[in-house]
Amino acid sequence: MRSLVALKILLHDKATTIGSLIGVIAIVFLVGQQLSVLFGLFSYMSVLVDHSGADIWICTKNTVNINSTGLLPVSYVDRVSALPEVDWAEPLLFGSGTFKTTNDNFEAVQIVGLRTPKLVPGPWRFYAGSQNSLLEYEAATVERLDFNKFGDIKLNEFYEINDTRVRIAAITQSIKGFSGRLVFTNLAKAKEILKTTPGRCKAILLKLKTSAEPEAALERIKKLLPKAEVLATSELSRKTRSYYVVNTGMGGSFGFSTMVGAFIGIIIITLTMYTAVLQRQKDFAVLRALGARKIDIVVIVLVQSLIIAVIGIFIGFFLLALFLNGTHDSALPTYFPRWMSPLLAVFTLALCVCGSLLAMRKAISVEPASIFR
Amino acid sequence: MITEPILQLSGVARDFFDGKTQRRVLQKIDLAISPGEFTIVAGPSGSGKTTLLTIMGLILKPSEGDVFIRSEKVTGYPESKMASIRLQHYGFVFQLAELLPALSVFDNVVVANGIQGKSISSALKKKAKDLLESFGLQNMFHAKPLQLSGGEKQRVAIARALINDPTVLLCDEPTSALDAESSTIVMDSLKRLSQDNTRGIIMVTHDPRVFPYADRLIKLENGAIASDSKSSS
Repeated sequence: MRSLVALKILLHDKATTIGSLIGVIAIVFLVGQQLSVLFGLFSYMSVLVDHSGADIWICTKNTVNINSTGLLPVSYVDRVSALPEVDWAEPLLFGSGTFKTTNDNFEAVQIVGLRTPKLVPGPWRFYAGSQNSLLEYEAATVERLDFNKFGDIKLNEFYEINDTRVRIAAITQSIKGFSGRLVFTNLAKAKEILKTTPGRCKAILLKLKTSAEPEAALERIKKLLPKAEVLATSELSRKTRSYYVVNTGMGGSFGFSTMVGAFIGIIIITLTMYTAVLQRQKDFAVLRALGARKIDIVVIVLVQSLIIAVIGIFIGFFLLALFLNGTHDSALPTYFPRWMSPLLAVFTLALCVCGSLLAMRKAISVEPASIFR
Repeated sequence: MITEPILQLSGVARDFFDGKTQRRVLQKIDLAISPGEFTIVAGPSGSGKTTLLTIMGLILKPSEGDVFIRSEKVTGYPESKMASIRLQHYGFVFQLAELLPALSVFDNVVVANGIQGKSISSALKKKAKDLLESFGLQNMFHAKPLQLSGGEKQRVAIARALINDPTVLLCDEPTSALDAESSTIVMDSLKRLSQDNTRGIIMVTHDPRVFPYADRLIKLENGAIASDSKSSS
């Protein structure tokens, strides 16, 4: 009956219910949107690492960020390939370049050179062409989302990067990097564009055999290559993200805006629920006089806040899904991990309960004697 | 035959503190209400009628003295226990009915029974319907209080007060906001209910037109009982 009373009061007080709902929707959408952009940027930071399919990365000593690693001897590839635990080892080369657009402007790009024929970590989504297109010497990719910057790019036509000729053999779909637009090419072409010292690469990617023990293999490779940084893929991804979060102020900025979103929501919920209780003081006094205990009044207000929370979370997630769908193939970095959804829902639910505390306090402070004149 | 009082006040006094001075609004009052008695407490404004009613209704705690329900001393019980006693033993009819506007007439009647988390049994639903029918409200079950007249609201309030078969029915000037015709209907209903020897009805009013309904008329002046008379009928 208490829940029914709570629900019926909510349905009766439409204006305050809608006000509280807006608060919850604001929390879910604003916080969710901020987090999706943050996670989108996270995915940009370590995009090559996360899509490499490798178990272990070998970089220069003390690497804290994959995008700022130094040069390694390519000979390391042969040394680690000889280990029985290793399935394959592939060198990787990447660095900055400038793409000459069709309007004779220049746009910064990130060149990623992959060794043929394996081509790891090759492009994983194509708008046109395929990975095999990169097997040819002059072949390179461009990202479809960059067309507005690069101009009218046509497949199989020649363009220039760092004054070096490349043929656009494939167009990638929504593959975005943090420090520039990604242009994939084969290792030989990348060396030519980046003018890298012969016999050097930026990183070595390693895939272990399924029978191998990852921890033991990692330790063995570390001993084999004491002058290199040997990291599990997940560790390198985490280090790269942490580096940007800490050193760019991005963490603080997004943390602050997320808190602002949550704060705005909780203020709206608190004020609307408090106002609703103020308007219903007499009803609570009647219920108290009729025999409701303070705990019964708390239950009514709590159930109201939970009903509002559940409906608001549902609508908020629906709007967030629309936002994520709408920005999926856009230049706006958005990515919302599945595991974040229950966390955001629980967080919102907790905020709703917090927002209703003041209302609860007011509701139980209503004196039943006030109903008598 | 001597019957046990259903409600008894022993030396009950009440002080109010206005921030500077303490004022005694109810002098030491001794009072016993018997079952089947329709008691009207009357007196001018400020005489302490409502304070007495709220103390009898276990809503306000007395500054001095004790309250007994069927010989059980309830003074000093914690707030939650007082609420449960109110739920079990009391029915309230307020001056302006005070129905919950969000609930239907039917839900307003059963709300007290379920307010401590109990589910509403089918027997109780039938009882609520019977009560509403007995007050001529059979076509109003699903109506909202806003759709009712003042007299209809007050009859719903009486049905709500009776749903738990209270030992004591406390009425706070239930006719003061009603027209003459509605007042008569409400007073007739209360008089009919007072014939039931299992409960007592206490009504606070300053309207002398309703005095003839009373079995007992208590007049308060300056927080003390000025007269306590029983009708001969």
